[in-house]
This record gives sequence, C-alpha cells and structure tokens, in this order.
Amino acid sequence: MELIWFAVFAVLLAGYFALEGFDLGVGLLLPVLGRTRDDRDRMVAAIGPYVLANEVWLVALAGTLFGVYPLLEGELLPALYPLVVAMLLAWILRDAGLWFRRRAGGSRWRAFWDGTIVLGSLWLSFGWGLVMHAAATGFAGPLMHPLGLLMGAAVTLLFAWHGRVFLGWRLPGFAGPARTGRALAASAAVAALPALALAGGGMSVLIEHSAPAATLNVLSLMVLPFAPLMVGAQVWIWRTFRPGKDADRHPSFF
Amino acid sequence: MEALDLARLQFAVTGSLHFLFVVLTLGLAPLVAIMNTRFARTGRPLHERMTRFWGQIYVVNYALGIVTGLVMEFQFGLSWSGLSHYAGDVFGAPLAMETLLAFFLESTFLGLWIFGWGRLPKWAHLASIWMVAATAYASAFFIMVANSFLQNPAGAVVAGDRLALVDAGALFTNDTLVFALPHVLGAGLFTGAMVLVGASAYQLRRRTGEREFFTSSMRTGIVAAAIGIALTVAFGYSQFGHIQEGKFDDNPAASVPLGLMMEGGNLLSLVVLLFMLPLVNNLPRWRWAHPLLMALTPLPFVLAILGWLARELGRQPWMIWEKLTVADAMTPGLTPGMVTASFTGFAVVLGLLAVVDYVLIARMVRRGPRDLALGATAPERPAPALSL
Repeated sequence: MELIWFAVFAVLLAGYFALEGFDLGVGLLLPVLGRTRDDRDRMVAAIGPYVLANEVWLVALAGTLFGVYPLLEGELLPALYPLVVAMLLAWILRDAGLWFRRRAGGSRWRAFWDGTIVLGSLWLSFGWGLVMHAAATGFAGPLMHPLGLLMGAAVTLLFAWHGRVFLGWRLPGFAGPARTGRALAASAAVAALPALALAGGGMSVLIEHSAPAATLNVLSLMVLPFAPLMVGAQVWIWRTFRPGKDADRHPSFF
Repeated sequence: MEALDLARLQFAVTGSLHFLFVVLTLGLAPLVAIMNTRFARTGRPLHERMTRFWGQIYVVNYALGIVTGLVMEFQFGLSWSGLSHYAGDVFGAPLAMETLLAFFLESTFLGLWIFGWGRLPKWAHLASIWMVAATAYASAFFIMVANSFLQNPAGAVVAGDRLALVDAGALFTNDTLVFALPHVLGAGLFTGAMVLVGASAYQLRRRTGEREFFTSSMRTGIVAAAIGIALTVAFGYSQFGHIQEGKFDDNPAASVPLGLMMEGGNLLSLVVLLFMLPLVNNLPRWRWAHPLLMALTPLPFVLAILGWLARELGRQPWMIWEKLTVADAMTPGLTPGMVTASFTGFAVVLGLLAVVDYVLIARMVRRGPRDLALGATAPERPAPALSL
C-alpha cells in the first residue's frame, strides 16, 4: 500500500511538470514570441483549455502530501516557508492574469495581466529549481544558493523549450516548425525528469514516513475507484482540444 | 503581535475571503447546471443566454475561489504543522480526498465546460457542468468532514503522542457534520439565488430591454432562495443538539456573531418565504421593490462569514476540541517576521484581486447578456466591402 501511494505521489509530481510545464513555458515565451497583442492572444488561447486540468495536479499533489505523508508535510513546508509563499503568490498572479486579461477592453489592461502571466510563470519555474536544490541538500541549507539559482534557470529554460514544442504542436506554423504529438510527448517526458529525480531521491524517506495502514486503506478505498474517471476526464480534455481545422474557430475565454 | 496571533489572523482573513467566493460558487453551480439543462432540452435562445450570462458570472467568481483556495491548502503545512504532526493521519485524509478526488475532477470538468462550448456534443457539455456541480458539493463535503473533526474528533483515538484513525465511518458521519453540511449547502444556494434576484432587480429597474431574460432569472432566483433559506434555517437550528458543551458560554467573540447570524437569518427567511415567494410573479414588475431586492444581495455573504466566525471562534482555544490547542498546533519556530511578510503578501494580492473580481462581476451585471465571452462563436468574417 505504501508503494501504491508513493506511485500516486510520483505520478502527480511528474504529471505536474509534464503538463503544467508547457503552460508555464508558454507564459515565459509571451514576451519572446508574442510581439503583437494578436500573437499573445493566440498563445494564451493555445494553453487555455488545458490550464485548469494541468495546474490541478499540483493541488492534488499537495493534498496527497498532507494525507499520505503528514509528518513530512509538517517538516517540508515550514522549512521552505518564504519560498512556498513566494511560489504561491506567483501561481496566484499567473492565474489571475489568465482569468482577467480578456475580461475588460483596454490594451493597457491586457498588457498588465499579460505581465503578471510572464512574471508569475518565471517566478514559479525558477522556484521549482530552488525547491530541487533545497531537496538535494536535505532542506538544511540556505534557500538562496548559487547552485539553486542555476537549477532555477535550468528548469525555466526546460519549461520554455517544452512550451515551444507545445506551441509547435497546437499552433503549427505560428513560431518555428510544426511538431507532432510524439514530439510533444517526448518533451513532456524530458520536462518530467526533474520531478522524477525529486521523487526518486525522496523515495525511501517518503515510504518510511507513510501514514499508517488504517489511513492509507481509507484513502485507497475512497480514491482509487475514481481513478478511471480522473484519467478519463484528462484524456477527454486532450481529445476535445487537439489541434485541427476548427481549433481556432472559437474565441478563447482566457 | 505574537506569531500565533498573526498566524491566526492570516488564516481567518484568507479563509473568510475564500469562503466569500466559495459560497457563491456552491450556489451558482447547480443553478447554472439547471439553466444549461433547460437549454439542452428546449434549445431556446433565452435559456442559452441565461446559461452563458450566469455561467460567466459563475466562472469569474470561481477564479478567486481557486486562488484563495491554494493559499488555504498550503497554509495548514506552513503555519499549523503541529496539527499535521498530531492529527495528520486522520485530518489529512479528508483534505487529500478533497484535492485528489473532488477538486481534481471539478477543475478538469470546468475546463471542459468553459472551453467546450460548440466543441463538445450538447449532452456531453451538459454532463460536464453537472459534474462540476457534483464535485463542488463533494468538495464541500470533504472540507466539512475535516472541519467537523476539529469540532468533534470522532473516529480517532490517541496512540502515543498522536491521533490514529480507527473508525472512518465515525469520521464521515460526525454529529457536527451531518447537520452542518446541509446548512452550508443551503446557505450557498441562498447566496447564489439572491445574486440572481439582486442583479435581475437592477436590470429590471433600469428597463434595459432584457425584460424576459431578467424576469425569468428573478423567478428562478426567488424559488431557489426560498429552498436555500429554508434548508439553512432548518439545519441551523438542528445543529443545536450536537454542539460541544459550553461552546458559546462566556465567549462573546463567538456568541455575538452567532446571535447576529441567527437574527439576520430569521429575518431574511421571513422576507423570502412570506414576501418574495408568494409574490414571485409580481416582483419582476414592481419597480418600487427592486431597490429593496438589490439591497438584500450582500446580506447572505455577511451572514455566511458570521456563521464561520461563530463556529471557529467558538472552538477556541482548541484547534481540535479538548485534544490540541491552537497554540500547540502552530509551527514551531515561526517568527512574527515570517508571518507578517506572508500575511502582507497574501492580504494585499488576494485583497486587490478580490476587488478587481467584484468590479468585473458588477460590470457584467450592468452590461447584461450581450457580447458574452463565455461560449462565444467566432464573428462572421465580414463580407469584403464593395470598393470602387
């Protein structure tokens, strides 16, 4: 049972990097590839239908951390207090930018919220590098460390590249070469590598600190029967919004 | 201020802010799903426009529900690690189910619904909004399971220096849960319904030409408000048999909000059940009544916050009733500087976003159901102009 829940944890973490990685990447690329307002609209519209289904992987991961590894949750989050707060604020600003940018007219309004998307994506991607560094040092060292900053830059570049591949798949001909679904799957797998390293590095500590069997049994009984529905809903998103002749027919809500 | 006071204030402020948006989500989700069902069955443009207009208000409100909810989820670990240390094996389970099961599905299906207009088959699209409503209710259930455990730690025993889960059935059928959950869901329905009524009153008073649209919306709102307030009041009073001994004795911080909520709720139930419901067919035409209906709109929000203040301040000084104090639940080593910085960040950012969100909703109400972004189809390509 501990192994099953570790697998759930690892899949959620890897899934978050693979999926939300391209949302953040496209956010990072807004000032690079989105020179005109129309271009930026198209880029945001490309990730729009996926964001809600992607970011929720991290929400689920944090819930799993609390339910399955309560003792670790109470150690890790306080150890990273300022970093977690900063990443939450970045996430909030990114989301607010997506929800608000098209809700009012003016171009300054839209430019402002596009700015929060860029800033939030950058801050959040960078933060993951710092989290990885903190994990590698056993959450003992200082949060700001040259090596951590270097890892932040690496994660940021990784997500930006993943975002570019996603754009090549979703908006062929928009910027750079058209990409196949297979290329996107490959870049998603690469984007998930840091997450797999994190989960793999923490495997023995995580399993050792699993909640007792009584708790895990209740969780399994309540959650696992719904796993097919959860997977199905995610697959349904990808089937519904795949690129095609009518992908651009509807104006995006974001 | 001490770190403890700051951490409590941070939780109270972000939690209250979160619930202002959640309570409207809980009410509008089923109402929008019902409108969407009418549209799917009749295909009438009126029902389509109602679904899109109220649906857009619902999703813009939902945005703040998400971002404030993120802060709530992580705050348990940041500020209250004593709680996860002592009771994480019990308390963590319902929270994990809320995120992993309910919110995961809710967010995914909401994405399908928002972006699936015109892309999903009609009935699949309808199914996705019903899934959103069902999982929103499931979320409320799991959060109330967790909260009720703090009020009355059922299903757990002390093993060593921690709590262990021994009876999941008792956890999920907690005395302080079974009456409080319908109370909260009823309050949500009432709040959402009163927003329908208030916004419709505004439009009808201004004679904007959307008479059929807002007459229909106001009627739906009044009927739903009557159901909502009846549930809220009935399940409010029925909680009194199951309150912790002495919870409201010598505790004005809890008993004053409780008294205000009850007086306000009783008064509103009289207004809704004896005035609005019998006159459901007249009120859309009676312009003199519209300012009154508009003035009622914020009251359910105020009462909902008062209700939480009563429930949570009544729990003090306990985090878990007679098991763990709030002081012992705080993260060891938390300094006033850390909490001041995070509280300032959350309060400023979420406070500003909340104001922006309410301004956007007010603008949407004022504009009425035209040029809606939700479910919009691409503008027809303009025919090439004849040029000489």
